[in-house]
Amino acid sequence: MDEDQAQHYEGSPELLMFLASTVHDMKNSIGVLSGTLENLIAGGAPPPSAAADQAAHDQPGHGQPQYEQLGQMLYQTRRLNDNLIQLLALYKEVGKPGYPFDPAAHRVSELVDQVKGQARILLQSRGVTLDVDFPAGAIWTFDEDLVIGVLVHAINNAIRYTRDRIRLGIRIDGDYLELRVEDNGGGFPPAILEAGADAMKTGVNKVNFLSNSSGLGLYFSSEVAKMHKHRQRHGGIALENGGALGGGCFILRLP
Amino acid sequence: MNTETPAAGEIDWADKRYLLVDDFVGIRQLLRESLRNLGAKHIDQAASGGEAIVLLSKTRYDVVMCDYNLGDGKNGQQVLEEARLRNLMLPSSVWLMVSAEKSVESVMGAAEHQPDAYIIKPITEGVLLTRLNRVWTKKQIFREIDQAFADKDYLRAARLCEEQIALYPLHEIDLQRMKATLLLKSGVPEQARAVYEKVLEERDYNWARCGLGKIRMSAGEVDAAQQMFQAVIADNRFYIDAFDQLALSYQQQGKHEEAFGVLEKAAKLSPNSVPRQRAFGQTALKLGNIPVAEKAFRKCIEMGEYSVAKTVDAYFGLARVCGQKNDTKEAIRLLNAAVHQFGGDQVTLRAKITEGLVYHESGDYRRARKSGDELEAMLSDETKQRPDSTTCLDMATLLFAVGVKDAPVTLLCYVARNNHDNAPLLDDVQKIFDKARMGDEGIELIKSSRKEAADMMNKGVLLWKTGKLIEAVEWMRVARKALPHNMRILFNSAQILISQLHQTGYVRELAEEAISVLMHVDAIAPGQLRFAQLMEQLAMLAPVSGVVAAATATEYEAANGAVPE
Repeated sequence: MDEDQAQHYEGSPELLMFLASTVHDMKNSIGVLSGTLENLIAGGAPPPSAAADQAAHDQPGHGQPQYEQLGQMLYQTRRLNDNLIQLLALYKEVGKPGYPFDPAAHRVSELVDQVKGQARILLQSRGVTLDVDFPAGAIWTFDEDLVIGVLVHAINNAIRYTRDRIRLGIRIDGDYLELRVEDNGGGFPPAILEAGADAMKTGVNKVNFLSNSSGLGLYFSSEVAKMHKHRQRHGGIALENGGALGGGCFILRLP
Repeated sequence: MNTETPAAGEIDWADKRYLLVDDFVGIRQLLRESLRNLGAKHIDQAASGGEAIVLLSKTRYDVVMCDYNLGDGKNGQQVLEEARLRNLMLPSSVWLMVSAEKSVESVMGAAEHQPDAYIIKPITEGVLLTRLNRVWTKKQIFREIDQAFADKDYLRAARLCEEQIALYPLHEIDLQRMKATLLLKSGVPEQARAVYEKVLEERDYNWARCGLGKIRMSAGEVDAAQQMFQAVIADNRFYIDAFDQLALSYQQQGKHEEAFGVLEKAAKLSPNSVPRQRAFGQTALKLGNIPVAEKAFRKCIEMGEYSVAKTVDAYFGLARVCGQKNDTKEAIRLLNAAVHQFGGDQVTLRAKITEGLVYHESGDYRRARKSGDELEAMLSDETKQRPDSTTCLDMATLLFAVGVKDAPVTLLCYVARNNHDNAPLLDDVQKIFDKARMGDEGIELIKSSRKEAADMMNKGVLLWKTGKLIEAVEWMRVARKALPHNMRILFNSAQILISQLHQTGYVRELAEEAISVLMHVDAIAPGQLRFAQLMEQLAMLAPVSGVVAAATATEYEAANGAVPE
């Protein structure tokens, strides 16, 4: 730890504790809010057999304005939650040595189950289908909570751009695990693509937070990717248009 | 990449008993809803750590979901520690620690009393079910290993790890970590080292780097060890275990100022650890930094209020601090409080020693002498067990200082007999004789004490080697009574008992006698190969695997306090 850093950390535990207890409180509120919304939506939705990953936009009840409003509320609540997680990660200096980074071996199928579980009701309420495609039985080493955070955020983001379908595609590509979140919308605008490219550049201003509303999420995702290191290789993110569904693609690669 | 089939099929979560601990009623309701969706019927709730402990002592839950942050009183970690130490959980129980953010505690590297998993809020059903299934499966994989661990059959447990690695590649890293810990406890650090080095070839796991550092430290490669701890700290400044180890290495080198600096940083990053604050306070006291020592000991006592890790050392330390501030009245009040709260012969003895020290340091030699005389009177009661060697040396130093002669000499001879082949400790004994201007007498006394111990041991070994097993067993009982802390005598005693068992077949009383002797050795000096080997031989003799050992171990800990790690 050099002198500069040491000075920066002076006095920060107290602030961190205050911050932690405030975040704890906010997280409780958001948790209750989104949990209640999910229960309301699930209660007013078609039987679960027809729900889950099936296209739900043509189900009865979905045309009702109230149902759509609930979906909108859940979407905004999730955005709030994502932003809160990312801001906190930023404060705790995600990517820096102090961040509680905890890689372990996990089944890719369990990662997919958890991401699906977190996004299910929101996708259903917005009439969006989620396709998943991953190698059965694969095991990879990564920080599960961080990667779930990145993927759920990418899906929440894709909900904004997609027409009615999102695909979570995972495959082993040589020494990397490639995780793609693709949609069938009109694709990312050029400014976002550019911001995505900037996020992985070192030395440059990292991400321009001021001019770009997606900056925080991209910055968080790129830092999470970079923290994953294995034998001189480290992870990365990329944005592109096209992919299997022809819309926007978010790509996370982990060594 | 490897593939594998899950170890457990469908787990029935409906029949399990659940406890939800959260101070926020809205969260409890949501979680209860989620659990009901899994089919759960038996769900209890607690709004505080205190309530949780009450419920935990009434019901054996299968799953506890506990928020880390519980407002005033105990936090989630303290509830977990108490539940584990008071055996309020079944070995198969699952503890999920819930927190609002990515938990620093999860990567701190303090291996003791970790929950089975951490979950970040908000908790969705999918995540909950995945984590529950995963933890349950892992428990199954570790079940036999944990059992052997609890029975202190470390060598068998290490072999079981190896077998499970072949079956469950997903858990390879966790199994390797456990295996290394077990090999260290078995007194084969070179094998543990090989495990850590293999794991590190794969990835820079901080626990493996720390483990390797500890092995290097005890192998005398202190500089290399310190570099490893520093590298871990540079990589993750929350990896507190590395701070604690680095401080320990400085202490062993006698570099108390460096140790103080490291402990200061560690205590700042993670102040809520009783052992850390105690080490910080004791180092500060050694350096004469009274204000810092006072603050650390007070913090220790304050935390102890809600923690089972509360320690009498903090009271003694704070009493010394008060003595140095010339507030002997407060010091005596603290010592009385310590005796009142902790009780027992050992605490009473140590309180008396500290009392003498406090008076001596504050210049009240008359009262110090009085404490010394009282101490001498307490020691003359032969029915009471003498304390550990370190306390005996402290006591002898004090008694000499206040002018008592016979009692400290008896004490030092007792220590020498019990450690007759421990050269560094015998050096310390000689130094105390030297300081009391009894150098020459000391040399003679140590020599005769050592001979006395060696004679006792040789007599037993001779009986054993000449096939007089029953006489050997009898003689070693006599030797143990005379020298209750002598490791060579204890090990040989257990060895002879096992030989007897080989001859007679399994006899429960003899096996339990051997086990209790070995438990005592492991408490005095953990991590000995001979301990692991003898425990393994005993386990193989037992008709029911491990059960007897576990029972005796628990009895031993109940009577003598937990075996230190």
